[in-house]
Amino acid sequence: MSIYDNWEAVIGLEIHAELNTKSKLFSSAPNRFGDEPNTNINEVCTGQPGSLPVLNKEAIKKAVQFGCAIDGNVAHFSKFDRKSYFYPDSPRNFQITQYDQPIILGGSVIAEINGEEKSFAVNRVHLEDDAGMLKHFSTFAGVDYNRAGVPLIEIVSEACMHTPEDAIAYASAIKAILQYTDVSDCNMEEGSLRVDANISVRLKGETGLRNKSEIKNMNSFSNMGLALHAEIKRQIHEYVNHPNKAMHEVVPQATYRFDPDLGSLVLMRKKEQADDYRYFPEPDLTPIILTDAYIQEIKDQLPELPLQRERRYVKELGLSTHNAFILTSDKKLADYFEEVLKKAPFAKTVCNWIIVEFAGRFKDSGSSLLQSGISALHLAKLINMIENGTINGKIAKTVADEMIKNPAKDPELIVKENPDFSPMNDVSEISALVDKVVLENPQSIVDFKAGRDKAFAFLVGQVMKLSRGKASPTIVNELLLKKIQE
Amino acid sequence: MANIDKETIKNLTELCRIDCTEEEQISLLHDLQKILKYVDQLEEVDTEHVKPCNHILDANIDATREDFVGNIMPRDVFLSNAPSHTGGMIKVPPIMK
Amino acid sequence: MHNLSAIEIRDKFLNGELSALSICQTFLDRIAQHDKEVGAFLSVFTERAIAKAKELDAKRARGETLGKLAAIPVAIKDNIHVKGEITTCASKFLTNYKAPFDSTLTTLLESEDAIILGKTNLDEFAMGSSTENSGLQTTRNPWNLKCVPGGSSGGSAAAVAAKFCPIAFGSDTGGSVRLPAAFCGIAGFKPTYGRVSRFGLVAYGSSLDQIGTFAATAEDIGLIMEVIGRHCRHDATSLPGGPEKYLEVPHDIRGMKIGVPKEFLKTLAPEPKKVFDNALERLKQMGATLVDIDLNLLKYSIATYYILATAEASTNLARFDGIRYGQRSKRATNLHEVYNFSKEEGYGKEVKRRILLGTYVLSAGYQNAYYKKAQKVRTLIIESYKKAFKECDLIASPVSPFAAFEIGAIKDPIQMYLEDIYTIPINLAGLPAISIPDGFSHDGKPMGLQLIGPQKGDVKVISAATAFQKANPEFTAIPKTFKD
Repeated sequence: MSIYDNWEAVIGLEIHAELNTKSKLFSSAPNRFGDEPNTNINEVCTGQPGSLPVLNKEAIKKAVQFGCAIDGNVAHFSKFDRKSYFYPDSPRNFQITQYDQPIILGGSVIAEINGEEKSFAVNRVHLEDDAGMLKHFSTFAGVDYNRAGVPLIEIVSEACMHTPEDAIAYASAIKAILQYTDVSDCNMEEGSLRVDANISVRLKGETGLRNKSEIKNMNSFSNMGLALHAEIKRQIHEYVNHPNKAMHEVVPQATYRFDPDLGSLVLMRKKEQADDYRYFPEPDLTPIILTDAYIQEIKDQLPELPLQRERRYVKELGLSTHNAFILTSDKKLADYFEEVLKKAPFAKTVCNWIIVEFAGRFKDSGSSLLQSGISALHLAKLINMIENGTINGKIAKTVADEMIKNPAKDPELIVKENPDFSPMNDVSEISALVDKVVLENPQSIVDFKAGRDKAFAFLVGQVMKLSRGKASPTIVNELLLKKIQE
Repeated sequence: MANIDKETIKNLTELCRIDCTEEEQISLLHDLQKILKYVDQLEEVDTEHVKPCNHILDANIDATREDFVGNIMPRDVFLSNAPSHTGGMIKVPPIMK
Repeated sequence: MHNLSAIEIRDKFLNGELSALSICQTFLDRIAQHDKEVGAFLSVFTERAIAKAKELDAKRARGETLGKLAAIPVAIKDNIHVKGEITTCASKFLTNYKAPFDSTLTTLLESEDAIILGKTNLDEFAMGSSTENSGLQTTRNPWNLKCVPGGSSGGSAAAVAAKFCPIAFGSDTGGSVRLPAAFCGIAGFKPTYGRVSRFGLVAYGSSLDQIGTFAATAEDIGLIMEVIGRHCRHDATSLPGGPEKYLEVPHDIRGMKIGVPKEFLKTLAPEPKKVFDNALERLKQMGATLVDIDLNLLKYSIATYYILATAEASTNLARFDGIRYGQRSKRATNLHEVYNFSKEEGYGKEVKRRILLGTYVLSAGYQNAYYKKAQKVRTLIIESYKKAFKECDLIASPVSPFAAFEIGAIKDPIQMYLEDIYTIPINLAGLPAISIPDGFSHDGKPMGLQLIGPQKGDVKVISAATAFQKANPEFTAIPKTFKD
């Protein structure tokens, strides 16, 4: 029993997703990433005096699409507010956001934990504009307003997650929905998807909430897992080590950022008082008024969502819930899977090759099957060769390694060109090898006849070795058994 | 209704990021006290069942725009007004990260 | 020539009687000769204006179609952008700020061939009622050079009164066009909120601001409104449709019901009361009926206004931080100082006062008592007007409790605020209103009559004002010093 067993974490996530509109939220400047600094700007997003915001209707549509996809309540009336704070990346020193009347209220997502579906509640989703970017140098900082004004939806969960695994599952589910509805590019490296966590701990059974820490700058789901685990431990230790201190003093409200190089949390600031953002209704914008007809049309036009796809895979293809979730959590991956399936209709095998065999091979390099350039057609060919017996499982793995080295190469060609890859199906050839092994290993035969199955496996292995892995295991088994029993 | 004092003024100048000398702060305190006393008369007005006026125009006007890219402000125009810039970026003193 | 109306000048240009160059030169010469006494202009665009005038003459010679405002010289308050020219807002903060885009006003004026002569003085960031808060120079009233021209659009009003141009533009948030119009003896019109685009107008009170027009006659203003009174896609608070027809409507107020809030006007001093009552008499003689209406709630307008306007202003002015534009303090060594010193050095006293007040009324713990309360009283004021307009077509009131006062005479900020008692409520309700001259004080300073219409009643207001001016030409006078 560890000290952690009596404690539980309470986690809420705030996810900011940049909408993939062509232009920004309140200005017609381009919404693009990676260009030269200050080349995607105009008077509105650089806060020039005399400029005025005008709302992008596509941003409303995408926010509503997302809201419908999470079964949230789309508000018929919502409005914008000014949120005041000073920072160089803010062109006006106030953000235009939605404070008390957001566009979406409520909603939920279903994620997968240990092979089971689990539902997580969303509190609200609102629209707001992004700030510019600060680049830090030793003697100065540079400000680039390309990102200023980019439309964001902020997705606020309820504080309903209790483990880092919950948080990762929830975040993956949200990301998948954003991707499937084509609302955001969800690229954490480029910053179009950002996750902040609010986390506190309490004794199991406690109903109140203790002070929470805010963690920002977690640039991947795995780093988020690390950060949350670290913070849970830290908070528990604090409480356990200071049993006589008042609870709210043990863990003060504070903001941390996760440093990926250090692999740990760094304190950014203590929150002694809440910031006074002085929210008030944005006078330069009219409220967003949506009709039932508008909302219904968007609902009707929603594409197949990740959960629907996952359940379809389980029901129609017989995949496990766990595997179906993995495949469908990235739309491109699921699309790829279905492409392969068109030519190689062996769902479980294809699934295995994608999420186990190839995924395992790319793990260390940081690349992935989708990025590798190996086409769905080629993967289908590989699988078909296995299924129709052209190659055996062992050879297939070697072929797969070759495909990674030469992603454009047709696996059928790889097999043709390499004599080692052609399986040995010739019974007489295998028979000869079997005879040799039997002759050279009399003790094993005695052991097997005495009841030791391991000895048989050893013999099979020896035959495979002699055939350099090319013999068909089925045939080897058959012949060996026959020979021994002679 | 509200009692403002030197501390209030000091906090306000911090919130608005306006440095003010001691003298100015005293003068501003004096002015704000007078003004706030004057505006306190609004307490006389019964507004219990009244909605706040957030927009004086008819809220049903569709004032949104299509999602297309319009005129971009050329970078050199933007930077021509900048007090300090480098490498295409606005330059500010270093910020503690 | 300088005493001609804008319409007359344009017509004489179109029919060949006058060249655009001679028109332009005449007014530029007058400015060069006389503006040192008045101080209306912050900058004069001599080259630009002459170039435009020459272009117009060439266009006319080629027989090309010319705009509705062809060859009319205009001046623009220096908080409205003309691309490539400096917009100072009369603040030390922006003395080096070149407008990176044209205001919609400028775009429309230039597309109709008006000639922009330059930018005029104002109270810093439009905060004030006398133009004394300008951080750059003093403007004097052409009727009495010891007196203020009114504010915050004092420069534009003085320019028209001194005949430096027949048309000038200002901005009106609490009376900043109507009040200087009254002090300077000219017409000044504030449209319905949203009727004229605010794109390119440096924002002060976003839900209150409108660009207003000065001219000697309401008729000239009608011509201008036929160009600028239209929807703008860069301004989300812009009214759809427009422009409406202002000139070809009958200017006749016979049978019109004019509401007068007698109770609310109880405190008017004897002299302005005499002038106002006389104006009411004239309206009756013209065939209108006077109706007593209840606008007692308006006595809370100033308190409501100063909470809402300063709250909006405190956020609108936050962007002036010396980071992207404007004067960054040379003393600043870190980011904190960039903000704090730049604002300290850049802003005048009145601006600091209003920003602090605006921040206070929005701050945690006080927002309900101040900002939200004021929002509710605003609703009641709007309803008051709606109710009043059920019983009348237009409302009449004085523009100001007194005529122009001497420069430096009013030091108490609250006393200055109280000057706006008759103009402020109109901004709170977003109504169209015009100030037209209706008499003089005992010492020869002009006074103004205010005609107010219901929302979107701009045509009605200008039309009635035109009728009044045509029936009472003696009020539209030119200050002796600037007649020739």
